[in-house]
This record gives sequence, structure tokens and C-alpha cells, in this order.
Amino acid sequence: MAFIEPKETFPGSIYTVTLGTERTVTFGGENVFAFHGFEGKIPHAPVIAYEVQDSLPDDWPPAVHDIYAGVSGDPAAWAQFCQDELRAQAIALRLLSTHPDRGDRSASHAAKTVSDVLAAISVPLIIIGSSHIEKDAEVLVAAAEAAQGRKCALGKAQENNYKTIAAAAMANDHLLIALSELDINLCKQLNILITQMGFSRQRIIIDPMCSALGYGLDYTWSVMERIRLAALAQNDAMMQQPMLGDVGIVAWKTKEAQAAESEMPRWGSPERRGIAWESMTAGSMMMCGAELLIMRHPKAVASLERFSEELAVQEAG
Amino acid sequence: MLIIGEKLSIIAKRVREAILHRDKMPIQDIAVSQWKAGAGMIDANIGPADEGGESLMEWVVTSIQEAVPLPICLDTTNAAAIEAGLKVHNNIWGRPMINSTSNDPERFPMLELAAKHDALIIGLTVGKGGLPADAEERCAIAAEIMARAMEFGVPLENLYLDPLVLQIATSQDHARHVLYAVKMFQELNEPAMKTVVGISNISNGCPKHVRPILNRHFFTLLMHEGLSAAIADPHEVADTVKTLEVIQGRTLYAHSYLDMQ
Amino acid sequence: MALTGVQIFKLLPKTNCKKCGHPTCLAFAMKLAQRQATVDACPDMSEDASQTLGAAAEPPVRTVVFGTGAYACTMGEETVLFRHEKKFVRPTVIAVRIADTESDSEIEATLRAVADSEIDRIGQKLRIDAMFVENSSGNSERYQQVLGMINASAPEVPLILGVHDPVTAGAALKQVGDRKPLLYGITSSNAERMAPVAALWKVPVGVAGRGLAALSELTQKVKSLGISDMVIDSGVRSAAGILRDNTLIRRAAIRKNIKSLGFPVITFAGRDDAMLEVLAAMLGIAKYSAVVVLSSVEQWRNLALFTFRQNIYTDPQVPMQVEQKIYTIGEPTPESPVIITTNFSLTYFIVAGEIENCRVPAWLAVMDCEGMSVLTAWAAGKFTPVKIAQFIQGSGIEERLTRKELVIPGYVAILSGALEEKLPGWTITVGPREANALPAFLKNRNA
Repeated sequence: MAFIEPKETFPGSIYTVTLGTERTVTFGGENVFAFHGFEGKIPHAPVIAYEVQDSLPDDWPPAVHDIYAGVSGDPAAWAQFCQDELRAQAIALRLLSTHPDRGDRSASHAAKTVSDVLAAISVPLIIIGSSHIEKDAEVLVAAAEAAQGRKCALGKAQENNYKTIAAAAMANDHLLIALSELDINLCKQLNILITQMGFSRQRIIIDPMCSALGYGLDYTWSVMERIRLAALAQNDAMMQQPMLGDVGIVAWKTKEAQAAESEMPRWGSPERRGIAWESMTAGSMMMCGAELLIMRHPKAVASLERFSEELAVQEAG
Repeated sequence: MLIIGEKLSIIAKRVREAILHRDKMPIQDIAVSQWKAGAGMIDANIGPADEGGESLMEWVVTSIQEAVPLPICLDTTNAAAIEAGLKVHNNIWGRPMINSTSNDPERFPMLELAAKHDALIIGLTVGKGGLPADAEERCAIAAEIMARAMEFGVPLENLYLDPLVLQIATSQDHARHVLYAVKMFQELNEPAMKTVVGISNISNGCPKHVRPILNRHFFTLLMHEGLSAAIADPHEVADTVKTLEVIQGRTLYAHSYLDMQ
Repeated sequence: MALTGVQIFKLLPKTNCKKCGHPTCLAFAMKLAQRQATVDACPDMSEDASQTLGAAAEPPVRTVVFGTGAYACTMGEETVLFRHEKKFVRPTVIAVRIADTESDSEIEATLRAVADSEIDRIGQKLRIDAMFVENSSGNSERYQQVLGMINASAPEVPLILGVHDPVTAGAALKQVGDRKPLLYGITSSNAERMAPVAALWKVPVGVAGRGLAALSELTQKVKSLGISDMVIDSGVRSAAGILRDNTLIRRAAIRKNIKSLGFPVITFAGRDDAMLEVLAAMLGIAKYSAVVVLSSVEQWRNLALFTFRQNIYTDPQVPMQVEQKIYTIGEPTPESPVIITTNFSLTYFIVAGEIENCRVPAWLAVMDCEGMSVLTAWAAGKFTPVKIAQFIQGSGIEERLTRKELVIPGYVAILSGALEEKLPGWTITVGPREANALPAFLKNRNA
């Protein structure tokens, strides 16, 4: 009996999303699981954005901190460095200093930072608050206005603040990142609520909450696989948005990325360890379907890009 | 279909306060209301009660049975409290039920009590640590509990297998596994094993207006699979029970069938 | 076709003799249906029943073992495509490649690195599981020399012999046959000559074919030559190829019940770029490889891959647990509060993360509740005042404090009265219900 390859096709597909105006990035559009090009279409590769903060990255370990030593005091210069020197496809600006515990900078200060960064770059911008529910609602409204017309991704909208943030994204022509914390049911619910406001479901990006390798990665992994299954196999319109992996912040916070070699002699080189931690966390997100990744270390980004290319090129079967 | 009224639970603030002040009235009110709505047994959930559980259970059991002519389902992890309850239980109204044993050795003393006092007992199909993944795993645990019951001298007709209902909001797939388990459990013995579930667990954490809808539809499917008993709010499910019994031909139809007690 | 537990039960003797180690025939039948027991455990089974059951009990991905003793590697037995459906059963074997063209000192260095690779993570001891010893030289004497070195300094590590020549294979098995290695080297061109060698030494084989159709034909041929224990290789080395073939093989075995592909898969992750290699190995671990062969041993890479494998192969039904102890967050002082929660790992990560983020130093008391969340643990009688008091008093934290304040989760506010009785000298504070309210709570408390 001849062997027939058990290929699968699905009724559903993922929405295609484009960010930016001058230079743009486009992702999504596939109708199969990540890198299953052998049984369906995958029109776009995942996009990696470099993370830039609006304050000094003093809690980043040396392996990644030192790369930005000359520019990290100025978010606009930092973003420009990523665009011009590191060839970033996109920039993700985290407005960390607006957090009440991290400097409590005002919404208008954040708006100014956004304007400065946008003036310095032509690649698309992802604007992320400090993940403080109340403060984000205020800061992201100002940021959305400052970025009007640049078609940014704005977030993260959560269950308790999505209304203001979604309204600001809608009014200023941005896309919206919707965060639910490792809860597939809440993820769908949040998308329903956001679309009930009149927000287009094709302009939402799902953030299922990234967990680092060794620190809950298994939960994120399964939540993302289940989201993608619902999108493809159940053709669920509220689950068909592209997904975001906000990787750098969780990967570089781990003990494995932070500990010096003197502290953990059996763990090998801290630099390679850190890069591996970020690469593998990002690689996991990508294999589970994330189309947009936020990362920090250029070597981790380079590895992931090469891996993504290797996964995309089909050998003759 | 045996409905075990679920409303007498320490989770409810009214019950918690009544217990704290040893105030019989609210306890008896709740019991009477459930009895009138169609409960055939009252679940008395006093929580883990690792302190003073014995006198508490005695008090709860006697308080309830002063007010309603029903047996009690004794619901706590404290075995001493269960035994205290069994001792004062008035068996004229039917045999008491122990809620519950499982495949966790910590819960085996419950089987000993069931044998000693000839009580009914719920066997929750979970082991130590970890939830069963599907119906097959639930059956494997059920078989272990059945073997254990026989070892302790509990007749299998006194054992009610509980597949453990999980919240649909967080564990959606388990709803199907539970339905299938209820069907499979019955095949584990001849005559068929009895089954019981805590219905409202399915809708825990769901919005208030959705809960009764989920509970009733789930209950309908469970009855179709042959469920023998349910821990539920009789006010919520009584109409479902009556309607299903009419549809399944177990009771004669009349226009006013819903008004029948 | 798989049988249900009840169908199996009907074929059993129903004597409840317990000789199989299970309390009743029914319980044994259920374990058989779950493939957690084997038919031969029942001494009184009829010939007919035994045959029916044996065929039905065969897992869709065959169980294959190589190596001996405590370090033996067991592969196969997988039943699903996604880990949320039911757990992945047999963690990927991580092997390192040794070529006999390397110098003796290079080989010695790898052997030392393998011996030294053990890492302890969340209570599991993880190490390089096996060595893939390749006869790259094509020279039989050199190969035997290398195996001699391995016998001398790594006598317990399971071996995969990368050999295609039957004579070399025969000689190698004379040396290491009692270690029950995996003989990787059957192809369509040497199958007739290699199979008798493997059969003689009763070792499992690795079968390599180009493409799935050819591979499927080849495994049938090898089976007809009397060998059933196989590990398969479709010849792909690129990431795209590994993902495609591994996915199709797993689907064929599980969904289509195609026996000729129902075998564990071996994947070669070797890359010039070490970081790319770690990603290729990750792909293998996540996507159905039973063995992943690395090109070298690197501590940082072991740490990353072992951790990843642990993540993927955890049972999604069994909550991951963290160790019961008092964790320090920031640099707590004798005045800092003690915050208590259960040892469900997700609860721990979230609570610890929130406290860290708000930069209020604290003691985090994590109590063993079998990995249940706070409410579940309370309802199950694992998180009760008596047990909490025992844990706190037994932990030694009291001697490190001048101000004894215990913050309990808002969901179990009901426990505060009883806890005050059980923990004399302590102030019991009811904290927020959800972890994300902890920062505000801790800061207001400080103010």
C-alpha cells in the first residue's frame, strides 16, 4: 500500500496585519500552524522588534545592557541605533518610567518621548505602557495622540482598562495589543469586549502573556497552541488575530540570564546563557504561532532570524 | 434521580455566620427550603473543619433533622467529624452519605467509616496530586476505589462514583470527559455502578446570569447518560428532573406535571 | 484497535487473584487500557485472550529501550500531538555525537563533559543521556579503540552506534553488546547484512531512509528480517524538514495507525553555529523527536535544553510545584512581612513577580499543598490554620523576625481568627485576593 502523507488543512486563517506608514511590516495571513508551509500558506515571516525603554535599563544584565551603553540614556537615540546599526524591522518602546514605582513620569512626558522616538525612526513603532492598569489608561491615551497617523501597535489593553486604550487606538488609527494572563477564555472574552466597542477585530494583536523558559513557559506554550487551534480548526473569528511574544523582558529577568559565572559555575558562560534564554523563549513563542516578537539582544535576534529562515525553506519532500 | 441539596455550605456567608454563632434558624430555613423544592438529601458542607469539627457536625446534623425528614450528606475532609455526624444521624429518614473518599490514602478512613456505619459514600475519582486527564483515567481510578471499597467491606451498591466536575471557564474539555465518565462508570459493575456529580461546579466563576443555564443544560446531558444522583440546588434543577423523567418515559405525562411534588 | 477497559476486563480470568500487582481484575484492565500495565503480568490469561490483548495493547508509537540499568533510555509510547491533550510520556533523549575521527584528547574531553553534565532543576537530576558514537573514519580498528576508551571511562552511558558496515558493527557489538546499544545504521542498501548482526546481539536498530515513503517501506523490510525495535530517521536535517517529517510521522502513527511509521524518531541537530544548534534541538524536543543528537557538550546549552525539555514534558494535569520553604524577595529585614501562599508553581511565579516588581522586600512563605492553588488547597483541607501554623513554626522564620506579621491571601480571610490562636505573637493580616493587588497593598502598608 502506498504511503499517503497525512497532511491537514483548516477552515480558519489568521488576519494579516500591517504596522507603520513610511516603512511597514506585515505579518499573519497563514492558514496553518507556524512553519507548516508543507500543508498550507504562510505569506509572511515573523517580525522581530527591538525593545527600547524610556529610562535607563539598569536592571538589564551586562551581557545585554552594555550593547546599548552609549545610547540608552536617550530613547530616540536608542531607537535610531536599533534601526540604523542593528537593522531593526520595528521598534518597541516601553514607557516604563511612567510606572508609579519606576519614576511616575507624566502622560505628557510619555507623549513627548513617543514624538521624539517617532521623529528619529521610519520603521514601525510598538508602544507599550508600564503594565500599571490605571496609569496605562492615562499614558497610552496621550501616547496614541502623539503617534497619530503612524499606525503603531498600542498596548497593553487589559480586562480592566481596555475601554480607554481601545478608544484611543481607534481614534488615532493604531492597532491594539490585548493582554490576557495565560487564560484562553479571558483572551477570547477580551477580544469580544473590544470588538463590541466597534473596534475592528482585524486590528487586534493577542498577547497571551509570555513566560520565560523554565518559568511557566509550558503554560504559555499550551495557551498559544490552543488559541491557534481555535483559530484554525474551529474557525473562531475572535481567536484569529496574530500573537505577540513580549520576550526580552521575561527572558532577561530570569536567574539563568542574570547569574554571574562565579555564582553558578556549572551553568557556563553568562553571556551565551542569556542569549540562549532569550533565543529559546522567543523560538518557543514563534513555534507556537507568535508573529510579532519583542527582543533585546542582537545575537539572539540574529539566531532567531536564521532559525526562522531555516524553518521556512521547504526541502524537496 | 436523587437531588442532594447543595445550599448548606460553609462557602455561603449566611451559613458561615450561622455556624459561627451556632444559630439554628438559618440552617433550618435553608434545609426546609431545599426539601420543599425536591431535595432527597441535604449536603452539610462544614469545610475542612480541622478544629472542633466533631461537635460542629453533630450540631449541624441534629439541627437539620429537627427541621426536615431527610438523610444528610456529610461533607468535610475531617474523618472524626464525619463519624460524629454518623453517630447522631437519624436513619429513619434514610441512610447518611459520606462526602467523600478518593484514591488518596488520606481519604481511606472514610471507607472504614462507611463500612462500620453502613453509610453511603461518594468516591471522588482523583488520586494524590494531579487531576485525571480524561474519562479513561477517571475509570482507572474508579476501579481502584471500588477495589478499596471491597477491601474495607463497603458494598459496591453503597458507593457513588463522582467523576469530578471542573469549571467550564478554566477546564472546558473536562465537561465532555465527565459526561463520558458517567456513562463508562456504570459499565464497571453489574448491576451498574451509581454515579453522582456536583453540578454547579461547572459554572463556578461564570457570570451570574449564565450559571443556571450552564447548570441545567449540563444536568440534562448527565441525566441522559444515566446519572444517579446530583449535588445541586433543587430550586434550579427540579423542573429539569421532572421534564426529563417525562421525556424519558419514567413518569406519566400530565399538563401539570411540573406542579407534582 | 485499542480496547476500552471494560472490553479488556471481559477477556480477563476475573479471579481477583492480585498476582499482577493490582487489587482486582477490573483495576488491572483499566491499567491495561491506559497502557500502564502489560498483558504478561497476568499469569492466568488464556492464549486467545492474550493474543487479542497483545495486539490491542501495542502503543501507536512503539516502546524502544537502549542502554541498561538506571541510565537506560526508554522511548516511544506517545499518544498525542499537543501536550495540552495529555502529557508527552517519554522525555527526548539528549545525546552528544563523538566521531572516531576526533583525536583521543578531544574524545576524552567530551567523555569528561558528559560525566560532569548533571544539573539539578526543580528536584530533577538532568544530564546528557546518551552518546552517539560515529564510525566516521570507516576504520573498524579505530572504532573499537574509541569504544574501548568509552568502556573504560563511561561504562554506564547508553550508546548509539553510528555504523553502516556489518563487519565493523559485529566487532563493535562484541565489545559493547552487553550495554544494549542502539545500532544506528540500517539503510536500504545494507539491511539484509546488518539485520542479522542486530538480531544476534538483540539490540534495537536505527533505520534511515530518504523520505517518509521510502522509510515506511524500509521499516517493513527490517521487520520482515526479524527486527521489531527500531528508531527511524527520514534523512532530513533542516529545521523545516524536521518539523514537517516529525509532524507527519507522529500524525501517521497516532491518527492513521500506520504501524510502519509507529517508531521513535532520531534527529540530528548539529550546526556550525552553537546558538542555531540549540534552537534546532529545541525544535526536536518540542516536535516529537525521541532522540536529539548534539555536536558537543556545552554547559549553558545543557541548562537551556534540559530546562526546555522539562517544560514540554511536564504533565499538564499535574500542577508544577515549587519547593516548600521561606523564599526571600529583595533583602528582607526582621521587620519585613511574611507573605504566605501555596506551592502551585504558577501561583508562586506570579506572587514572587509582583512582590519583586514593587521592590518591597519580603519573606515569601511557600507551603506544600501538592501544587494546588490557594482556594483549592483550602477546600481540600491542605491549607488550614493547623497546617499553616505547623509550617511557619517549623520553618525557623520566627527566630529571624522582630515583628511577626503574616499576610494571608484574601481568598482565605476566613482563616485569620483561627490563625491568630494558633500562632501566638503573630499579627495576621488579610492580604488582597489577587496577586496583582499586592504591590499597592504592600506599599500602603509601609506608608
